[in-house]
Amino acid sequence: MNVAGMLRRDGIAQHLAPNALAIALAIIVVVFAVSEPAFLTSGNLIGIVRQVAIIGIMATCMTFVIMTGGVDLSVGPVLALSGLASYFALQAGMPLPVVILAGLAVGALVGLVNGLIVAFLQLPPIIVTLAMLSIVRGTALIVGGPEQHLIRNEPAYSFIGTGTLMGLPFSIYIFAAVALLMILVQRRTPLGLLVAAIGDNERAAYLSGHRIRLTKTLVYVICGAGAALAGIIQSSQVHTALATYGPFGTELDVIAAVVLGGTSIMGGNGSVARTLLGVFFLGVVNNGMNILNVPIDIQLIAKGAIIVVALALAARRA
Amino acid sequence: MNADAPVLRGVGLGKTYGNLAALADADFTVRPGEVRALIGSNGAGKSTLIKILTGAVLPTRGTVEIEGQAAPLGDPLGMIRRGVACIYQHSNLAPAMSVLDNIYLGRQPTRALGIVDTGRQRREALDLLARHDIDIDLDRPVGSLPTVKQKEVEILKALALDARVILMDEPTGWLAAADVARLHATVRALKARGVGIVYISHVLDEIFAVCDTVTIMRDGRIVAESDVAAIDRPTVVRLMVGDKLAGEASGAALQQRHPRGTGVVRMSARDLGKRGVFGGVSFDLHAGEIFCLTGLIGSKRTELVRTLFGSDRFDTGTLEIDGRPADIRSPQSGMAHGIGFVPEDRHREGLMLDMNVTENLAMATLDRHRRGPLLSRGSMARAGRQAIDELSVRPPDGGKLVRLLSGGNQQKVLVGKWLGRNPRILILDEPTVGVDVGAKAEIYAILRRARGEGAAILVVSSDLEEVMTVADRIGVMVSGRLVATHDAGAVTQEQIVREIGGGTA
Amino acid sequence: MKIRFSSAALLLFFAVTLAFFSVSAPRFATASTVENLMSGYAFVAILAMGQAWPILVRGIDLSIGAIVGLVGMIVFDLSLIFSVPGYVILPLALLAGALAGALNGVLIVYLHLQPFIATLATLAAYRGLTYSISGRQLVPGLTTTPIRDPWITGIETYFDLGGSIGLSRLINMPWFPLSFFIMLAVFALLQVLLLATRFGRDTCATGGNAEAARLAGIRVGAVTIAAYAISGICAAIAALIMVARFTTATEALGSGAELTAIAAAVIGGVSLAGGVGSMFGPAIGAFLLGAILIGLTLQGVPQFVQQIITGVILLAAVGYDRLLVLRRQRKLETAATGAGR
Repeated sequence: MNVAGMLRRDGIAQHLAPNALAIALAIIVVVFAVSEPAFLTSGNLIGIVRQVAIIGIMATCMTFVIMTGGVDLSVGPVLALSGLASYFALQAGMPLPVVILAGLAVGALVGLVNGLIVAFLQLPPIIVTLAMLSIVRGTALIVGGPEQHLIRNEPAYSFIGTGTLMGLPFSIYIFAAVALLMILVQRRTPLGLLVAAIGDNERAAYLSGHRIRLTKTLVYVICGAGAALAGIIQSSQVHTALATYGPFGTELDVIAAVVLGGTSIMGGNGSVARTLLGVFFLGVVNNGMNILNVPIDIQLIAKGAIIVVALALAARRA
Repeated sequence: MNADAPVLRGVGLGKTYGNLAALADADFTVRPGEVRALIGSNGAGKSTLIKILTGAVLPTRGTVEIEGQAAPLGDPLGMIRRGVACIYQHSNLAPAMSVLDNIYLGRQPTRALGIVDTGRQRREALDLLARHDIDIDLDRPVGSLPTVKQKEVEILKALALDARVILMDEPTGWLAAADVARLHATVRALKARGVGIVYISHVLDEIFAVCDTVTIMRDGRIVAESDVAAIDRPTVVRLMVGDKLAGEASGAALQQRHPRGTGVVRMSARDLGKRGVFGGVSFDLHAGEIFCLTGLIGSKRTELVRTLFGSDRFDTGTLEIDGRPADIRSPQSGMAHGIGFVPEDRHREGLMLDMNVTENLAMATLDRHRRGPLLSRGSMARAGRQAIDELSVRPPDGGKLVRLLSGGNQQKVLVGKWLGRNPRILILDEPTVGVDVGAKAEIYAILRRARGEGAAILVVSSDLEEVMTVADRIGVMVSGRLVATHDAGAVTQEQIVREIGGGTA
Repeated sequence: MKIRFSSAALLLFFAVTLAFFSVSAPRFATASTVENLMSGYAFVAILAMGQAWPILVRGIDLSIGAIVGLVGMIVFDLSLIFSVPGYVILPLALLAGALAGALNGVLIVYLHLQPFIATLATLAAYRGLTYSISGRQLVPGLTTTPIRDPWITGIETYFDLGGSIGLSRLINMPWFPLSFFIMLAVFALLQVLLLATRFGRDTCATGGNAEAARLAGIRVGAVTIAAYAISGICAAIAALIMVARFTTATEALGSGAELTAIAAAVIGGVSLAGGVGSMFGPAIGAFLLGAILIGLTLQGVPQFVQQIITGVILLAAVGYDRLLVLRRQRKLETAATGAGR
């Protein structure tokens, strides 16, 4: 508890930690740009943003969950189930807003169940959402069966994932909107402050008169809705709804982006904006490895290694 | 060996954190067969001393000798091997494992292949039980035993390691009265076998019942050492809480006392009780007064005030606020009744250490900074600047992380968080623990100002000097009962000390 | 006492489940169901017993499914590509599992990672490694070649115990798969390790009160790494049983196995709060899960519903575990009404 030492360490944590990832991102961009000129074309860069939109939306929406000291492993199947829900709403001839709401509602509902169990029954989030992963996947398979459901002749719905607006894919606008909204919520709303407060000191937040359980439930609802939105975009992008979308490992990508962004897995410290940095870092690494023809299996290993290294560095600081 | 040679001896021990001395120049000895009480208020330096003796903390200065040999400092395992055992306040046992396994935790005798030699283990354990005349079922999981038995298991664990000195940190804190007597019998048996014992407790009865000698600490120093037989309770209490009341402090206290403040009753408690904790507590708290609840640690003041705020519930009795019955079932409803609460442990219960001063100050007043669905950072910053100014938080920087402030400034932030609500009733639990003298005075000034603005203030404090300084009225709690209330101007410190010491005095 | 009681309760629940399906599901109470249960869930029981060790030290191992896949692929490669004899493959497979598990432990102990995040990361890494060493892609011709090494296929042997002792003449006896006996052997070994050795005691102490264990001189880090290594070895054994069954390995072998294993362990009374558990519980938990799933299949419940039911059972099991912990705490609190301050 040497004060001088604490100041020094805090100085490093304060100034280096957020910048370390930005620096790493810059280095990687330079390396890829030098070794493969195709990397730095505007087409490829837009492609990267489009590719990370789905994971990015889920990651920005999961940041709050992790900041409160929780985690949501069920986002993969939620993505599949919301795609199916939208598909069936389309089949039933519903108007587009209802279709989208149906998809989002499915995700919010799963999030609500997760949140209620975690907040009110105080069961460990890992196990709860792992069980929910299985339950939601099973539900998706019952609802959708193992076969693909093609979404044809739905130009409005297809526009969500494939349309372009002013030369940019529409999904990028959605991603940007969600990201800005979540940054706004974090920085400019009572909820954002409360999420950080709960992660920092749940007991003190309770003794300050805040509704801890309600807030915790709400962050899981947001996370579920985010995964559902990602599911809508995905199904629109590939014109298909399928019960096995968002395979095991999706949640890892999402969590990886959040923790790479410096959000502590123990709760507390965190930032949606930095999660975006994590998203882009992983996106650039993926894209670069694809361009350099790194096989998919090495990419998986690299991803695991990146997470371990990033977290180990974070743990050393703490 | 000379029986009077100390078995454990600390010389010139000191520990500083930054520029704060937690312990200064402490000489401490324990002889074989001696039960030495170690007492002092919170923050007096007891726990630092104990941590140095168990090796958990490396002292800045001084040496420790065990049976005349210099012991390695800051090495917990080394201290245990040399025969210094500590029985902590919180259990240091594995609850699901059997008594037998716990006694031999980490060093069961084994045969080939690491198979535990249960026969030998049991024989040795039974031998130990017989030698120390302790009766316990070796096969019960420790978690299923009553707490007093768990303490005995910890003692056995220490004895199995051939402990020469056992440090007991508030060993009776979790025990019922009958069990305390049991534990004391065990302590006397250990003493008879020449084990040196350091007995840390806040309960004077126990010290007079079981200890031979007493060491009293205050403000990081050892202020007195004595045979228990040569000292009386009021002296002990006075040494513990300090009697530097003369001069300016009393002058400041006398300048303005407002017993019953404006005369308007804000909060009225009748016969409040919580089963097994406190009971029969009745008092009135008036607007514009500071009412101090004092007593020894463990007299259930904290438990009482928690139920007033709503973070805990009382079982019996009634509580009225502004003459109307109040049903306070959560901090939210407590706050809706205009109550603010500064908890005792500011790190665990009060502050968000990794958030900044402005955010911490706004934590109880977020509604004020709401603009539609949004939170106005500008409004928060303005309120923060104003509060920092009024409380003279240093450095006056709203963006500073609270973790980086000194204890006194942290405490000002915590008090300021509630003052921002202009609470009608403000409850503070030990508002100046671990706070330096200058900040203490500032906090008192802040409380007096809030009183001047008509707030009803309830302060829980173990520091008698503090009580005599700020209180308009004083309530004394002993073992869960409010035994007396006085107008501060009409009572002497001696009388309070007598009452705190318990009914027997 | 409590542990023994909960084991009895679990057995009783198992019996009730069997009785329920015997009455309600057609063809449940038959020799073939018992045979299916033994052959289909022996390796689940092994995985669950392995999973119990990380949970005992207050962790969790999400990577066991990936370790199953990795070890399966190593066996595939060694046997089909390099024609290594089976008696060499078996110890190598166990070694690979132990190393993969120990690596989890090292990440947790030395890099201070949260167990679930460390094993989630290695889940990805091990699965990636499985793809990159996949003999199916290196030598595409082998995808349809079965493994014929008798040391490996021999694991998939059935014994007509009923026939050999003559009981079959009276009732229809199931044939016992070798995997069931392997499960029994693993059970016996691990149960002795847990209950009778210093290491087992150290494991419980580490999970029950890590600080007390450290102060008692237990090398908490080494114990933790060993616990994850045991989980890895059990995953390797499960992989061998599965490869022997299918006579081949795929890259996806064992995916999702962590879910069933964790569920079985928690059902079997291994507390997520650490330090409490036995090997008996997870084993019974696995067969209980198996009985429920087989019973439901026979009742005509679609397979996807089973996924839901597995999840619900897991939730119920952690809920019950939580209840026990709360009850224990409440008991402590009432015992300590004279509480400190």
